[in-house]
Amino acid sequence: MSELTRPRRAVRLEATNHEGSLLGKNVSPTKFRVGKDSGFAFADILFAIDLNNEIVLGDAFPDWRGNIYDIQMVPDMATLVEWRPGLDSVIGDYWLKDGTPVPICPRNLVRKLVARLAERGYDATVAVEIEATLFEESVQEARERGYRDLTPLGGSAGATYHLARSSDWVVYMDAVVERLDQIGITWEAWTDEAAPGQTELNLAPTDPVRLGDSWARTRQIMREVAFELGHTVSFMAKPTAGFGQGAHINISLNSDSVNRFFAGEGPSDLMKHAVGGLLATMAGATSIVMPQITSYRRLVDLTGPPTTISWGVNNKTAAVRAITGHPKYSRLEYRLPGADVNPYFAIAAVLAGVLAGIERQIEPPEQVTDMAWCLPASSGVSRIPDTMSKAGAALDADPLLREYLGDEFVDFWVASRRWEWMEFHTKGGDPFAELSAWESQRYFEFP
Amino acid sequence: MTESTTIEAPPPPLEVTRILVEEDATPVVRLIGCTLRDAAAVARDGGDELVAGFLGTVAVRSHDTPQAATVTLAGDVVEVTSGVFLEPTASVVVDLNARFAPTEEPTGDAELAAALLGALRRPMAPWRDAAARFWAATREIPGIPDVLVVEATGPDGSERGRFGEGATTYGIAGPADLLSGVFSGADDFLVALAAGLQVDGTLSQLSVMTAASWRVRFDV
Repeated sequence: MSELTRPRRAVRLEATNHEGSLLGKNVSPTKFRVGKDSGFAFADILFAIDLNNEIVLGDAFPDWRGNIYDIQMVPDMATLVEWRPGLDSVIGDYWLKDGTPVPICPRNLVRKLVARLAERGYDATVAVEIEATLFEESVQEARERGYRDLTPLGGSAGATYHLARSSDWVVYMDAVVERLDQIGITWEAWTDEAAPGQTELNLAPTDPVRLGDSWARTRQIMREVAFELGHTVSFMAKPTAGFGQGAHINISLNSDSVNRFFAGEGPSDLMKHAVGGLLATMAGATSIVMPQITSYRRLVDLTGPPTTISWGVNNKTAAVRAITGHPKYSRLEYRLPGADVNPYFAIAAVLAGVLAGIERQIEPPEQVTDMAWCLPASSGVSRIPDTMSKAGAALDADPLLREYLGDEFVDFWVASRRWEWMEFHTKGGDPFAELSAWESQRYFEFP
Repeated sequence: MTESTTIEAPPPPLEVTRILVEEDATPVVRLIGCTLRDAAAVARDGGDELVAGFLGTVAVRSHDTPQAATVTLAGDVVEVTSGVFLEPTASVVVDLNARFAPTEEPTGDAELAAALLGALRRPMAPWRDAAARFWAATREIPGIPDVLVVEATGPDGSERGRFGEGATTYGIAGPADLLSGVFSGADDFLVALAAGLQVDGTLSQLSVMTAASWRVRFDV
């Protein structure tokens, strides 16, 4: 049945704001039919509110932002799906009235970088490993408890790949992948992850924009299924004072349907240059892929996430793992992003690093063949910025990311992180706690 | 109403006591550092030197948030660091949005605590001087308006000041003491808005003025 004849009560317009929350509104079928080409008005404030609904201040607005103007969300009809009976959903991009993209629109930023890559003759294939933690309690109960002292779904003993999780955990994940199948999101695997209640769900490789769409929608589905089953799910970088959770991004570059990261032995030159760019931009990109205060609490040696600006062939202790030697599966795994990241911005940061590397033929440093955690300063391997303020300063000073992501995005993002840092420190956050109540209140449910 | 002319910013002061702030400092550490540097500048200009010569550590804690810092006084050097990780010589609990007003009796070395609080709670500079310094210190912030028009109300009525020249103007009005606090960084700009400060400008300018106020309050 065509998208315009299928009976429905409403169409949900969707897009992420800068924080990565899936925002939108439901419109009637008639309203949708009238506006689907010209777009729907949204207040620019959606790019100016934090996760506590405060207006983010501290920077000069670009011309398109004024005393709360409207911007247009234009649906991408290729994303129209039946979300559930009676409700369709469609993802859109934000545009200015003159027909140019909103420079900080996350999805448009990915499209811009995909286009630049295409100018070089390449297309990217990307995939993501989504980590999330499930709790037995309903979200209402979790709220009452301030999101603390919740019971991990499936048992409290953490053991990666464990198949003996109790059935409530399995029922939840079965329901999630059934919903993914229904709306056409291709998943590859799900498994028990390291922390109690934690799962990892892998989405299949696809093009960057589609992956961003699928990633954002998967988080929404995981929330909806949790609501329906009376449970709670969180994508916080560290939802409890235990393990953190990440979102590793895998990428390869193709031309003429051939994986150009593959070489007979070891990484291809193209892959090496991509690594060079990813490492050259990693300090600044940290601000983007580790967006919240809690994101930085993940950066603990020997616990899983990378702590050094490093790479290595098949080295999962490094920030970039190179998988080589296979004509199809040769790829880079960018292991830095937290589960709390904006999917599109994370993909954009990776594409920007890759583009910088291949366009400038940046040679990577020596790969780390030892363990990349706990390295001494004499190793010459830098640490990943371990606070929001350090990472923001690195992004502000990064000429490569400024070129590929744009000054307007970088200035906006740096200011928004300064606001977040200020809110945390001055409104009740505790930098010396393992996880403060302020963080749980702010980040547990969103993005 | 008294109309005034543009006032040039005074030259940056030299310091007597050296104030050191750790790298990647938290806002409370930055606020204490900025305030002590201002106090040191007053001393250089002939005012009382309130912390020079003291030895010891003072824990400074916020009365309503987990914010905390340690101030280490070592003669002519004062160092401010995040958190409190040792048994201090003295402790003070203060309202960071009320110019370091103590909310509890200090504990430990009373003289040391009093010296530090004296430096943190110096009288405000007159609003006109503070505004001139504020304007000079924030010129390079992107989007900062060219002209600041201030209307201060005091016991003797209202006064106006105009700082800078150019096409874009921002107006701020309020009690003289509150203006002194905002322009010197002693008071938080956004908190001051809730306390009666009035502004005339765009939302974008409010955003930029927030950055400007953070510059003088936190040196960020």
